[in-house]
Amino acid sequence: MAAATQSVRPETFRLAGLRRLFGSQEAVLLGVILLLFVVVGGINPRFLAERNLESILLGNAYVAVAAIGMSMVIVSGNIDISVGSLIGVLATVSGSLAVAGAPIIVSWLAPIGVSVLVMLVIGFMVAYLRIPSIVVTLGMLSILKGGLISATGGKWISNLPPGYNLAQNDLLGVPLPIYFMVGLTAGAAVWMRYSAAGRAIYAVGGNAEAARLSGISRERTLMMVFAIHGVFVGIAAILFATQLSIIQSTVPPNLELSIITASVVGGVSILGGTGTAIGSTLAAVLIAAIGSSLIFVGISPYWLRAVQGTLILLTVLADLMRRRRRAVRR
Amino acid sequence: MQQESAGGTAGIAPAPGAPLVLELADISKSFPGVQALKAVRFDMRAGEVHALLGENGAGKSTLIKIVSGVHRPDQGSIRIDGHEVAFGSPLEAQRAGIATIYQELLLFPELTVAENIFMGHAPRNRFGIDWPRMRAQARALLASLDIHDLDVNQVVGTLSVGNRQRVEIAKALSQNARILIMDEPTAALTERDVERLFAIVRLLRARGVGIVYISHRLEEIFLLADRVTVFRDGEYVATKQVRDTDRDDLIQMMVGRRIDALFPKFEVPIGEPVLELRNIVRKPATGGVSLTLRAGEIVGLAGLVGSGRSELAQVVFGITPADSGEIRLGGHAVIIRNPAQAKRLGIAYVPEDRGTQGLVRPMQLKENVSLAVLARVSKRTFIDRAAEAALAATSIQKFGIRASGIGQVVNKLSGGNQQKVVLSKWLASGPKVLILDEPTRGIDVGAKAEIHRLMSELAGQGIAILMISSELTEIMGMSDRILVMREGRIVADFARAAATQEAIAAAMMSSAGPMALAS
Amino acid sequence: MILAAALIVLALQSEQFLTVDNLLNQGRLMTEIGLVALPMTFVIVTGGIDLSVGSIMGLCAIVLGYSWKNLGLPLEGAIVVALATGTAAGFVNGWFITRVKVPPLIMTLASLALYRGLAEGISQAHSVRGYPEWFFVLGQGDVMGVPTQLWLLLLAIVIAWTVLARTIFGRALYAIGHNETAARFSGLPVDRYKTAIYTFSGFMAGLAGFIFVSRVSTTRSDMGTGLELDVIAAVVLGGTSIFGGVGTIAGTTIGFVLIQLLKNGLALTGVKGDATIVVIGTVLILSILITNFVQARRAGER
Repeated sequence: MAAATQSVRPETFRLAGLRRLFGSQEAVLLGVILLLFVVVGGINPRFLAERNLESILLGNAYVAVAAIGMSMVIVSGNIDISVGSLIGVLATVSGSLAVAGAPIIVSWLAPIGVSVLVMLVIGFMVAYLRIPSIVVTLGMLSILKGGLISATGGKWISNLPPGYNLAQNDLLGVPLPIYFMVGLTAGAAVWMRYSAAGRAIYAVGGNAEAARLSGISRERTLMMVFAIHGVFVGIAAILFATQLSIIQSTVPPNLELSIITASVVGGVSILGGTGTAIGSTLAAVLIAAIGSSLIFVGISPYWLRAVQGTLILLTVLADLMRRRRRAVRR
Repeated sequence: MQQESAGGTAGIAPAPGAPLVLELADISKSFPGVQALKAVRFDMRAGEVHALLGENGAGKSTLIKIVSGVHRPDQGSIRIDGHEVAFGSPLEAQRAGIATIYQELLLFPELTVAENIFMGHAPRNRFGIDWPRMRAQARALLASLDIHDLDVNQVVGTLSVGNRQRVEIAKALSQNARILIMDEPTAALTERDVERLFAIVRLLRARGVGIVYISHRLEEIFLLADRVTVFRDGEYVATKQVRDTDRDDLIQMMVGRRIDALFPKFEVPIGEPVLELRNIVRKPATGGVSLTLRAGEIVGLAGLVGSGRSELAQVVFGITPADSGEIRLGGHAVIIRNPAQAKRLGIAYVPEDRGTQGLVRPMQLKENVSLAVLARVSKRTFIDRAAEAALAATSIQKFGIRASGIGQVVNKLSGGNQQKVVLSKWLASGPKVLILDEPTRGIDVGAKAEIHRLMSELAGQGIAILMISSELTEIMGMSDRILVMREGRIVADFARAAATQEAIAAAMMSSAGPMALAS
Repeated sequence: MILAAALIVLALQSEQFLTVDNLLNQGRLMTEIGLVALPMTFVIVTGGIDLSVGSIMGLCAIVLGYSWKNLGLPLEGAIVVALATGTAAGFVNGWFITRVKVPPLIMTLASLALYRGLAEGISQAHSVRGYPEWFFVLGQGDVMGVPTQLWLLLLAIVIAWTVLARTIFGRALYAIGHNETAARFSGLPVDRYKTAIYTFSGFMAGLAGFIFVSRVSTTRSDMGTGLELDVIAAVVLGGTSIFGGVGTIAGTTIGFVLIQLLKNGLALTGVKGDATIVVIGTVLILSILITNFVQARRAGER
């Protein structure tokens, strides 16, 4: 009477794994990047010049790093639109410290501490006071932006001490920021996938009720997420600040949008519960590449934001479709 | 009717000396307005499948929630292995070895099988989660349940319902559950999944796990359970060895009760057909339903939870469109695409869940009453406060609503009065067809009688009423005709005089289910 | 109440504050925020949000300038096209939110980027100048001593208040905000109403864009940046709950008036323009905290 069951051969498991890999968002992104390079390189070979490729990666490494933290925030079901202003503030803090004579290492580490502090405040309001993160970070965005301008009076910081420009250094011929980008991405990806705390983020973002019944505290997990996000933002700010010999008092416009786009297009569902660090980094690279390619193809770079907006919309729609199809199937 | 002895080890109870792992004594629990359990008892031995049987509202789910730590009993004791326990939370019950598998599975669709099984208690090493060990243990668990075709790395969201249920069972086992509660586990399963579930249940029983099995499918109880306990109206009726009882006996225990003269449905001339449904299909809940409703008639629609009654009502009301079939109103075919249209056509639906579907709780009584007929209390889109107030005042009087005034926030009203507000809202729209979904659920006896009286009056005014109810006495007392729905279809049609509770219950749970042919 | 106290302090600090001239001028300046805050109240009352209003304002300003200067449309026509663009942009938001069921936060975040991007792309960062005299009447002129746009704002306030407080539509919005399911089950045309409010929001953003261009005499693609902050802060300050179901036009009006006066007061006491957004941001967060707190206490009393 026992139901006839057979062991499924192990090969089938491996095939299923491969299929999942190729169908994943990350693979799609990689494919699109390659496609972009081929197409744009075909139209204008100068696009593929090493100098240009290097500047694409280098100039945007900090966006990718910030997107890692943002991905975690979005996976947990929240969002942070103040990150651009925060980076601006942190960069200025860092530069001011350096110019004021503090040890270089302090001017690199102090901003990270500030960032974590700010994020803990935001996290507290979201986790314990239950204020929607969009509103908290909307308010925080203006506080930071306004605070920065009034504090600096719009002046740029120059006269940075020698040795300060961390981002300009190379190690074995590869610029440091690239190490940060790749290393942090890998580390974050592994941590989110394989550690208990990392999984908790997915659980809280996916089904907070079930998470609670499994003993996971939403409040503590959210505080942790925002704190870690703070670390990544801090590092990104340092990379940003140490790139040039001056520190501007404003950040590139719509920086937070670039970061959020990178996360969303990278497969982090804005509805919470899925997404990886690898995806967001690949997406950051893709977006930077698109931005650069516009020039080489002869399209004005002023269309970049429209492109980003469209990308977000398309990705969200695709995500919604995917979720609905999955829910209907029984 | 003689029950055939089933194959396998079903029906052979463990030796009476097997230890009692769970004892519930004298448990009572009440919620505002309703006494869910009155001094009931229930016990369970190791290595036994103990079925819990009763109509909707008999108290089964309340009992489960008490055992799994969601509610605390008002009085009574719970003993595990002889020691008295009190659970402050579901987590505590889990740690005591009690696992519950609900109908709405609590899984994380984006995570893998192994992760779901071990969420919150994964094996660890120095660095964090010991992934290889977790996967290996997951595989071992599944193998011990004789499940060899599930990849522990597969994302749960892509699994079928049957497989997801298996993951839930494995999850329960991963926490060394000694008592497993299964609430209507076969409701959404295919035949083959049901067979595999049974195999797992028998396997667990052989291992000494105690299983509380709740199901309406009597044939399953005879195939699987050792003992069966029957609850009725929140009270304990009896516990018997399955081999000492049969289907008629169980049904009698479930529904046998005196019918008080509580339902004053008076004779009313029944007029022309007002609503006709022809072969309405809406997957997956409703498959080919046809019925006719006449003016002045009250048709009771009986059936178990999940039989598709509310879904049918919502098709008629336009909340979800039908896949196929025809609706005729007053002889003309109509297509109903949304509730606004249904309302215009004269159909009203008093929903099952008055809190989330029927009322806007933070709003006042008068605002709720006028919500469906705003056009009627307005002059060219401007709300006429006086007209609204008048409507509310009339409703309070007509329906006997006990409230402090038309401005009272409905959240504060009792269940019975809230239901009257919903009723008055819909009656203000002057419907020709009134669909009531569990109109007296969770309402005290006095308010129940009032609502029944109202229903009779409405029928007397020529309104055609379709009453969905899980209370057999209500169905029998109030209906001119009784239809029984099971698994999406109408399976029986009784005239009032010919109906008995047993016949209706039998039709609701008849053995023509997927297990009819099982070994 | 706290704000009233703060205002009194500010007023005392600068004698210019309470002059009629100054107040009227402030009225002129706050029109854009005020106009957009009205439909935003509707949106937030239903439990939604519209982050794209600033971008729509910028887009409409650009469309106005460009269809006049580059496409050669008569200025009147350009104005109509600009308003139509705003309406269409709002409609797109509403359509995606109701038909595709994209959560409002996400949809308007994406459209914030998209619409601003379109503005930047169309304008290529050039600005448009040289509007004829009559064009400035709306933005810089007076009627009977009161700035033109203020009359428009007053009219809009009256209409919006009437709709929200007295009509079926308004009542339905509150119901949707409290319990959308029950509203649907009561036969209210929920999708139609929701689409309508987002479309209205887009239209008002376009109108605000028109007035803004008229006031500052140029068109630039970065106009309206940060508008959403001011508008949402005004709405929340006015007592509208971010969770939906609660809010009034009267409250919102007080909200944006207070915010404008606050900005003005700060400016007159020497606080530089950019620092005021710090204050607004703080006001936003504090208002939500206070509203939450008050509602929680009220719910507890039940």
